[in-house]
Amino acid sequence: MNDYRKAFDELSFSADFQERTADLLRNRARELEKERTDMTISKTKKIAVLAAACIALLAVSVSAAYAWLTPAQVAEEHDQPLLAEAFEGPDAIEINETVESGDFSITLLGLVSGRNLDVLNQDLEKDHTYSVLALRRLDGEPLENETFDFSGYVMTPLVAGCSPAAVNNWTLGAFAQGFAKDGAYYYLLDTQSIEMFADRTVYMTFYEGFVPNNTIFTMADDGTIAFCDDFTGVHALFTLPLDSAKADPAAAEAFLTENDMGWTNERTEPEGEWEIERHETEDGEEIFLRPEDGGTDASH
Amino acid sequence: MVPFGTDETIRRIVSAYSDMLLRLACTRLGSTADAEDAVQEAFLRLLTARPVFRDPEHEKAWLIRTTLQRASDIRRKAEQRNVPLEDVTEPAAPESPGEELRSAVRALPEMYGAVIHLHYYEGYSIKEIAKLLGLPAATVGTRLARGRERLRQMLREDVV
Repeated sequence: MNDYRKAFDELSFSADFQERTADLLRNRARELEKERTDMTISKTKKIAVLAAACIALLAVSVSAAYAWLTPAQVAEEHDQPLLAEAFEGPDAIEINETVESGDFSITLLGLVSGRNLDVLNQDLEKDHTYSVLALRRLDGEPLENETFDFSGYVMTPLVAGCSPAAVNNWTLGAFAQGFAKDGAYYYLLDTQSIEMFADRTVYMTFYEGFVPNNTIFTMADDGTIAFCDDFTGVHALFTLPLDSAKADPAAAEAFLTENDMGWTNERTEPEGEWEIERHETEDGEEIFLRPEDGGTDASH
Repeated sequence: MVPFGTDETIRRIVSAYSDMLLRLACTRLGSTADAEDAVQEAFLRLLTARPVFRDPEHEKAWLIRTTLQRASDIRRKAEQRNVPLEDVTEPAAPESPGEELRSAVRALPEMYGAVIHLHYYEGYSIKEIAKLLGLPAATVGTRLARGRERLRQMLREDVV
């Protein structure tokens, strides 16, 4: 053991590695922040301008020709043997539905729910749902880890009749991971189990953007959730074939009470140019929209 | 936890994990420059993936696994470019017992190298390694025993 330690202690790395790396990360963090802010501003402008925008046609079809990794193989790529086994087991739900949107083909491959399936994130008190989604570019250009902006997209469950602000990745404590392989990009999403909502219509959505809001989603009177007609980012919505016998209405109600948030399709975004201010707080991030010429704050 | 991306967290994470991750990457890469690339890519991935960690152990495990994946990617890419394997894993003929041992570790199948390193260099128990790598403890025990045996055969002496 001493020989082993000595052999690796002998290694010498660049003296400025830490300083150089911290600088690199700080610069990249600033770039990402700017990209997010630019995207938000751009979307706000589009809302004002594109009132009569065309509805993106969502062609949902069964994925056939493309040879994706299976959800079990995706779990194996993440060194998750228990999860891989669960994806091969009787509780797994195979979906294989594809939506083409923008430059992408988006395929929801499948999901499985259970307890302690992730060796790293053992949660003794709650079941979790693990969902796998695959992306590829329609022009055939390969997606790669180095160039694909994982953080520019959101994969989140939503539940019909429940505010998208109340049931989503953020409230379900999601942990998303992704990797590129053979030109495709795979998302593995871990959330608190969504089976408690199984007696309602449950969706899995994928879209370009950030937290779900009424510039992205609209809810009909019957609770049906859809993307807004003028949402122009890449997007896909899948209805999940959950087993309604697994619903836990009491748990679902408790969850909704705890995460009670209103919802209105009516937008209150102002016309004109607004400044975005972000402040970190102990509870997360506070975002303020402020008119460029001064005026009353509108916090979101 | 404080979101990654702030100056404070960048400083903390780079300072806390760089040395450990650089040496770990060297179980798969013969060049320290490549190891530095692998670790930087792992840190950058943390920035873009924005995972939410439940505790510091989860954070460490994520970084270890991402670094190992990046190191494997770099190694595979070099191999695909038809760079002779020895240029990737063994930049020079072993000049010291230390380099000889490191070369032997790099020559091990990937499934053994990380387990050996985390146990003999970082001092983690089998159970801790199981948690860090997301493997059953029995698998880690088997890999440790087989990896050690292979190392012994390669070095023809009991170095560990």
